[in-house]
Amino acid sequence: MSSETSAGAPLIVKDVVCGFCGLGCDDLVVEVAGREVRPKASVCPEAARLLRRLEPAGEAGPVTDEVYDQARRLLDVARAPVFAGLGADIEGGRAILDLAIRHGGVLDHAASDGLFANYAAVQRTGWLSTTLAEVRNHCDVLLVIGEDPAAAFGRFFERALPAEALFAASRHVIVLGGSLGASARRQLGGATVTELAADDPVAALAALCQMVSGPAPRGASFGGAAAEALAEAAAALKGAAYAVAVWNAGSLDRADLIAERATRLVDALNVTTRAGVFPLGGRDNVIGINQLLLWRLGYPLRTAIRGEASEHDASLYATGAALKDADLLVWVSAFRPEPPPAFDGPVIVIGHPDTEFATPPDVFIPVGTPGVDHAGTVFRMDSIVSLPLGALRVATLPSVAEAVRRLEPVR
Amino acid sequence: MRIRLRGGRVLDPTNRENAVARDVEFVDGRVVAPTGERADAEYELGGAIVMAGGIDLHSHIAGGKMNLARLLMQEDRRAYPEKILPGMSGSFCGCGGGRAVPTAHATGCRYAELGYTTVFEPAMLGSNARSAHLEMADIPNLDTGAYLVLGNDDFILRLIARGAPQEEINAYVGWMLKATQAFAIKIVNPGGINAFKFNARKLDLDEANPHYEVTPRTVLTTLIRAVTELGVPHPIHLHGCNLGVPGNDETTLATIAATEGRRLHLTHLQFHSYGTEGDRRFSSSAARIAAMVNANPNISVDVGQVMFGQTVTASADYMSQYRNRGLANPKKSIGMDIELDAGCGVVPFEYRDKNFVNALQWAIGLELFLLVEDPWRIFLTTDHPNGGPFTTYPHLIRLLMDRDFRNAQLATLNKTAQAHTLLGGITREYSLEEIAILTRAAPARILGLADKGHLAPGAVADIAVHDENADREAMFSKAKLVFKDGRLIVRDGEVVDLAPGTTHVVRTEFDTAIEGKLDAWFDRTVGLKAKHFRIADGELRGGRGPTVLTCVGGAS
Repeated sequence: MSSETSAGAPLIVKDVVCGFCGLGCDDLVVEVAGREVRPKASVCPEAARLLRRLEPAGEAGPVTDEVYDQARRLLDVARAPVFAGLGADIEGGRAILDLAIRHGGVLDHAASDGLFANYAAVQRTGWLSTTLAEVRNHCDVLLVIGEDPAAAFGRFFERALPAEALFAASRHVIVLGGSLGASARRQLGGATVTELAADDPVAALAALCQMVSGPAPRGASFGGAAAEALAEAAAALKGAAYAVAVWNAGSLDRADLIAERATRLVDALNVTTRAGVFPLGGRDNVIGINQLLLWRLGYPLRTAIRGEASEHDASLYATGAALKDADLLVWVSAFRPEPPPAFDGPVIVIGHPDTEFATPPDVFIPVGTPGVDHAGTVFRMDSIVSLPLGALRVATLPSVAEAVRRLEPVR
Repeated sequence: MRIRLRGGRVLDPTNRENAVARDVEFVDGRVVAPTGERADAEYELGGAIVMAGGIDLHSHIAGGKMNLARLLMQEDRRAYPEKILPGMSGSFCGCGGGRAVPTAHATGCRYAELGYTTVFEPAMLGSNARSAHLEMADIPNLDTGAYLVLGNDDFILRLIARGAPQEEINAYVGWMLKATQAFAIKIVNPGGINAFKFNARKLDLDEANPHYEVTPRTVLTTLIRAVTELGVPHPIHLHGCNLGVPGNDETTLATIAATEGRRLHLTHLQFHSYGTEGDRRFSSSAARIAAMVNANPNISVDVGQVMFGQTVTASADYMSQYRNRGLANPKKSIGMDIELDAGCGVVPFEYRDKNFVNALQWAIGLELFLLVEDPWRIFLTTDHPNGGPFTTYPHLIRLLMDRDFRNAQLATLNKTAQAHTLLGGITREYSLEEIAILTRAAPARILGLADKGHLAPGAVADIAVHDENADREAMFSKAKLVFKDGRLIVRDGEVVDLAPGTTHVVRTEFDTAIEGKLDAWFDRTVGLKAKHFRIADGELRGGRGPTVLTCVGGAS
């Protein structure tokens, strides 16, 4: 962009939509001066880091036609490409999917581990879930399983449990197997917080579930949590008008078992009162790309297109496993400078311009960031709401969709 | 580009043409009066039946609940892999597959093969509207549109509870139609989905919501008035209270009476026509309800016919779906409270012909089809996929047109169910013309789509050609030719091209003073700004935007 513009007066942009962690905040305030972007208000530390642009002079420029030609050659000879990372908005995802349909290959997202841990529960039994606005207004008892949600989702409590609610008369947060940090406590204001230490949250949660659904199990403690404290938590959950269980499957050991037991707990609560699971996750539009695959291919992520059919296997087509049989890695990461996993074969990266590589890829096509350089659509973690990202500055780099469409055969 | 169809017989009930032997001509996607001019392409039809493209006014084809259904029912997808399209060899499009919940591409292709060119998603949640539109953009060969679910959202219940003037309700409805790019208003279990969030497990027509103390009747009459005064062509599309509950016949009859002569569309009426007679406390009330529909010209209905086999039910009616989750087959289900807006429930279901209840549901649907007299007020639906997938329509058409076939099917069903239905004694057989009314002419009329559902000059050149066949299931299973906007997309029952569709939306006038209140509501209460909730025209159909029908309001 020209120097005249960068010399212009800074512009304060309000109501900026953020697509990074999946919480879907849309009230950020940033200052834009030419190509510089400075977070100003309502920005969590993670978003601040990913939005900030302070040294536009050193930014990578668009690559030449020859680079696209080289990428096209690699794609043409590949027999088993893996399209991974997939940190892109919906239009970017559509372009990658079309490319994968043309060349065949496996599709997976960098943040899909948590998603598939949850799917282990949801595909076996289903679950009863809820969305952000319901939590904000109905939830009077929130069960957090594992780490402080504010660690990965900076403004979680401010967004999910604000002081004002239409219906919830009070707010009680029960943390099982973790503790809340200062930021979470500040956001929660006057809410009651109970922390229940547990060295085995799966066992503690199973006991809690049993206490809610029937006669309490025998024992003084479960998974390191005192039976008495668990019984109090069970009573609070049963006494809630609307209880909600949250966990971040991406950061938990044995997350599939946590998801399964949380699902059972919420099922048991709904016999007499109302409750829902609210699984945390969804960075870099993993939910949106997953939704896109579901309506386009009928399968979620971790799906392979071979010949004229697609097939899904959550283990076989996870990035790590799929790379063992791959002869090309196409890595897409537009939201953050995340390098590709180690891979012996050729690598094409369509990524954030600041990406640092241990080994330089065969092809690197830097792309703009959705919500900074390009407008685009991303999904929130609940998979129901999607949001329009805006552009904060004029793009000098292509979007993922633009870059990927240039990889289609020259007509 | 001028295309001429020669030697066909035109079946166009809108224009009173019943198998009239004449040519049909269209230029650049619009039907024109036949000329002697040289055509760019001519098709010799040899007496085949020529109709406008089919219009399905109620089929769940897009939105979050369908993706939840796909996620939950991977076995449906695996059992129905990608269909090879010989007419499109070498151009694999990644169509996906599935039967009960097909992918976007498969939905467009399978509908096109049956001669359908326009389909409406009948339950779009405002909070999920952007997603539904993204998905509809990926459905080829069909024009689409969506009905916005209202009446369980906390914003309208608060308005009604505080006795807000009708003008304010109307402004909200007008704003929401525009913001979500919707075509009509749907009410699902009026106020019931909301009541479930306050732990109510059922809500009758005159039962008060535990929090707002508003009854379903008030929600219904308030919204009927709103769409009437705003001039929305399609009447309120109602999924009533007590879906699937024996004894809901009384609710349905009371609902019709509650309209006091105003227009109302009762959707998947079959699921709302259950009595409590007999040892099993489950019986058909189709005759009573059909009589009431016949006597009330303000009422239109679609059936939601049950078809035997595996499917998955997906509905915004979480209250009812939660109640029915014990019947899930396979044993798994999803439920969701959604965004101070509504909810959703996904429950896999297998309708079995030897099961008393399922067999009687099948019979009740057919009784309704055959006992409602006016073909312009009843529509052919299975509430896809809830009663069965839309791909069963040809079989359903044969059941309606062929009494012997119908009775032979009936004879194979659960014996007790056979004894509890009037079906065997009903002699009516639908004519071809009546099928054309149910599947294209009448839907176009009730939706206010003046240039669809018929073949007069000026009509959109969405055209389906079927070879005559005494086996009506065979006849309607594979269209001989289908044109979308004048472009050939199906030949001999196979998709040969993918044409982009459009999305129909309505726009009404409304008092923009509502915007300040909505800004505050979304920002503080929902946690999402109104301007980000709103969907821009450019977000539809890959930037091409919607096809807008401007409503003329004023009547009340």
